[in-house]
Amino acid sequence: MVGTKNKTLKVTLNYIFTIVFLLIMIFPFIYLVLNSFASWDQVDKHLIPTSYSLRSWQWLFSNSVTVAPAPWVQAFLHTFIVSTITVFLMMLFAVMVAYALAKIEFRGKKLVDNFILFQMFFPGIILLIPQFLLITKVGWIDTFQGMILPTAVSLWAIFMYTNFFKAIPDTLIESAKLDGATDMQILFKIVVPMSKSITTVIFLFLYTERWTTLLWDMIVSKSDSTVTLNVLISQMFGPYGTYPGPMYAASVLLTLPLILLFLLFSKNFQEGMQYTLK
Amino acid sequence: MKRRNNKLGWLFTSPYLIFTTIFFLLPLFWSFWLALTNWNLISPEIKFVGLENFIVSFKNAKIHQAFFVTYKFLIVFVPLALILSMLVAVLVNRLPKFKGVFLVAFFLPYLSSGVVTSLIVKGILSYNGPISTWLRNSFGWDVDWLGSPTAALIVVSVMIAWKMSGYYGLILVSGLNSINTEIYEAAALDGVNGWQRFWKITVPMLYPSLYTVLILAIGVSFGIFTEVYQLTGGGPNGATNTWQMEIYNQAFVNLKSGYASAIALIAAVVTFLSIGVLRNLIEKWGKHYGWN
Repeated sequence: MVGTKNKTLKVTLNYIFTIVFLLIMIFPFIYLVLNSFASWDQVDKHLIPTSYSLRSWQWLFSNSVTVAPAPWVQAFLHTFIVSTITVFLMMLFAVMVAYALAKIEFRGKKLVDNFILFQMFFPGIILLIPQFLLITKVGWIDTFQGMILPTAVSLWAIFMYTNFFKAIPDTLIESAKLDGATDMQILFKIVVPMSKSITTVIFLFLYTERWTTLLWDMIVSKSDSTVTLNVLISQMFGPYGTYPGPMYAASVLLTLPLILLFLLFSKNFQEGMQYTLK
Repeated sequence: MKRRNNKLGWLFTSPYLIFTTIFFLLPLFWSFWLALTNWNLISPEIKFVGLENFIVSFKNAKIHQAFFVTYKFLIVFVPLALILSMLVAVLVNRLPKFKGVFLVAFFLPYLSSGVVTSLIVKGILSYNGPISTWLRNSFGWDVDWLGSPTAALIVVSVMIAWKMSGYYGLILVSGLNSINTEIYEAAALDGVNGWQRFWKITVPMLYPSLYTVLILAIGVSFGIFTEVYQLTGGGPNGATNTWQMEIYNQAFVNLKSGYASAIALIAAVVTFLSIGVLRNLIEKWGKHYGWN
């Protein structure tokens, strides 16, 4: 009897510890949201603001306070467009390449396989300057294609999909072949639908990474017509230092979609992670 | 039996082949050539200077600093990330129910942008911010968080460790799950205490997950940019000036693309070799536990 009581107490304590630690870990998010709703004289004054207003949010959407309007909403749309197209291309190319590497024999396959591994461990920083020059030469500075295309292939996604596709039985593909299906049909009607959980994991990681990219977007984007929200917040960091409230609101605008997306797919994500981490 | 079909194979891999040619191989050779010139991104004249850029970088104190700053980040960030993610993993793993919900919640920091965390940290740690005010009023301490070299390095490390903790924690939890509970039961019968149990059973059994986390974390510490760019600009006095920061400044602020390319090449070699050596060390450690 004493044993079970002790055990219940221990379990309860474990939950309390975990919840307290969790609250500490997600406190920066709480701080961010509360400060975006705080009165302007309260921002960054207390860990929990004592009075609230909608001024920061109104400011963000109206831009009437400053002479030069800061196109926050427009920047949000840019982030959405760039991230969505880039990640779509990354996923499309990854399943195609992975299918070839996992299920088709062709000359040079080993070389491609090894070169992908080499590139994954290659310090990408070397490529930054010449990639920028390349984009400049073809006139893609300050364009969406300049932000999208140089980041449109994810080696990591190819690597993950290849491993996953290898586990799909060849007989399944053979029988579909006998029924007259082309490889494209097999890939998109059989193989891809079978990879739902790993697709969720890859999608969420790629989307998060692309959504919060700073360095490349900052180099390519030169004006309000292409600037992404992350870059805009970064640029306004100093000059708008006196308006921290709206900066917090813009940050909520940047972070919230990723959190919603993640929570929406969290079930598939957990399943997929279990596979990925095996 | 896999089918042999060269044409189909090349067709399906073509997006990768085209991408790699244009955005990997071409820039790679271009950067080698750039490193041998004094080009400044603007002038039409490009002068070939041989190895001068490399010689100048080797002598430059800023480069020496970037070299050491990376290792400082490594020494502070990697243990921090390991401790935080271990805490997440051990706490969540002990819960009989709702493990998944907690793991998802702990993963949320990974979704934050470095720009946003920098904004929060700058606000929360500013002179009149809540923490500094409290420290000053309660203890009379005046900490210049981003103005002191040591504090700035620790602040940036904590930010990145915080961001990664849930992700690494997830990896460690799956490792903890794969440990056979019978081992713990046998150890309990032998009267092993909690501390011994952790170091003699959990850590060795967890090695494959620890390996993954360590490699990921080491990779991260060689690529720190956003938080440093945003918060300290590499300062104070170069104390947080990472390779990426130095390359960015030389290439896009000072417009010395030739010189910056040379630094990038040096950085790449240093990174590549360092990660190789560290990997070997970690694998040796694993062999000690009997993992291959």
